[in-house]
Amino acid sequence: MWEKIANVDRRVIYALMILVIALALLNPIGMAIVPSQATIDAYNYIEAMPNGSIVWLGMEFSSGGVTELIPAAQAIIRQGFKKDFKFVCAGMWQQAGDMAEMAFSIVEKEFPDKQYGVDWVNIGYKPGGEVLLPALINDVNEAAKGIDHRQNQLSSLPLMSQFKTIKDADLIIIFCTGTPGEQQYIKHVTGPLNIPLIESAISVSVPGIMPFVQSGQIKALIAGMKGAAEYEALVGVPGPAMAGMDAQSFSHGLILLFMILGNIGYYATRNKKG
Amino acid sequence: MPETLVNVGTHLQAIFTILLITVIFKDNPAYRFAEHTFVGLFAGYTVALSYFNYVRPNVKDQLIGKGELHWIVPIVVGLLMYTRYIKPIAWLSRYSLCFTLGIGTGYVLSKDMKPFFVDQVRATFLPLWGTGDWWKTTSNWIYVVGTVTALVYFLFTLQKKGVQGSVSKIGRITMMVAFGAAFGNTVMARVSLFLGRMQFLLGNWLKLISIRV
Repeated sequence: MWEKIANVDRRVIYALMILVIALALLNPIGMAIVPSQATIDAYNYIEAMPNGSIVWLGMEFSSGGVTELIPAAQAIIRQGFKKDFKFVCAGMWQQAGDMAEMAFSIVEKEFPDKQYGVDWVNIGYKPGGEVLLPALINDVNEAAKGIDHRQNQLSSLPLMSQFKTIKDADLIIIFCTGTPGEQQYIKHVTGPLNIPLIESAISVSVPGIMPFVQSGQIKALIAGMKGAAEYEALVGVPGPAMAGMDAQSFSHGLILLFMILGNIGYYATRNKKG
Repeated sequence: MPETLVNVGTHLQAIFTILLITVIFKDNPAYRFAEHTFVGLFAGYTVALSYFNYVRPNVKDQLIGKGELHWIVPIVVGLLMYTRYIKPIAWLSRYSLCFTLGIGTGYVLSKDMKPFFVDQVRATFLPLWGTGDWWKTTSNWIYVVGTVTALVYFLFTLQKKGVQGSVSKIGRITMMVAFGAAFGNTVMARVSLFLGRMQFLLGNWLKLISIRV
């Protein structure tokens, strides 16, 4: 029996994983979401910003990061618009513009008074990789070649008259799945200019980012889908991240179960062979 | 966007998601079709984006439109990179490569030292007593001891014997804890990715749950 358990077919594990996640999504039991200190720090930092602050949103991810990062982005936008923040978004990743549009898709329904160009601007993807950031310090209009993601002239958008360089940002929040990401911002923008930086990152990147949080180079970190769920809970508007937490917990339980069984099976069969 | 197009898009997303998921059970032609479609689409997307965000503003608008001739220099340096496909003049591509490497190295040396070395080292200078908070003091000890012992592990010029061996062992344990945390986070990220697709399939597509991704 132990041999079978130690060598369980991976397809069985995948099938069970699909089943567990589907069942947990269809019948959520509403497990408690207790915000971690890191998420609370991010929330409090943004909450303490003066009303009407200009916030730079760095959309440094592509469609693979949507599940973990868009819920956090939408929760932050909700919190920001309640405080009359102005948002300027751009990114070094090719899908940055589309990701920003997706994050701001909540605006029409929840904040009908907020207008594109006045309350938020989506500059979108601009090429150059990390070289883009020093260019943004000099002149946003020049770095963006004068056009936004929607092909509008940046000079025609009222918000851009207050936002000439990235130095005009009171806070920088970035959403990252890898490189270019937080290291480029720390190196070129937030470090030299002393602008506070908050990051929302996918879970897999979290261990690599923690030294920057520890050193204070990143003020606060929203870690993965769990962090996004905690942020949704703090903002008080449940979204996809909160809805997915039951499924995530049960799937982790399943993985743990298979790890324990696999190890027991391994030890049992190893002794037998010996 | 018209409702019909949104529906077609949703169905296509769902079908391609399922086709891609089938690979976890067995490699098959349906998966290959979806994979190749994705690669092709993304390549096209990248070319279009590069044209509208780079080639058109720089070449068409700045160089040809406004006559800003200095744009010729980076364009020529960039184009030289492609000479590697023409054997007799392939050596020319090395100039572009050297230029890029030189800039890259200089850039890294001038920009990376402070944020990724000095500031990170400084972050390990933590108070080991007198913080007034036992948890903080314990964390600081773990942080400092973990950093120092992990660094000692990489002193390969000394044999891992005696004190050096014991300290290296602590460093190795510290790194194993870090790798464990990294593995846990990786699992969580992969599950999240799949979870997102399941939310899409059950929500946006089948409309069995109310959450829309």
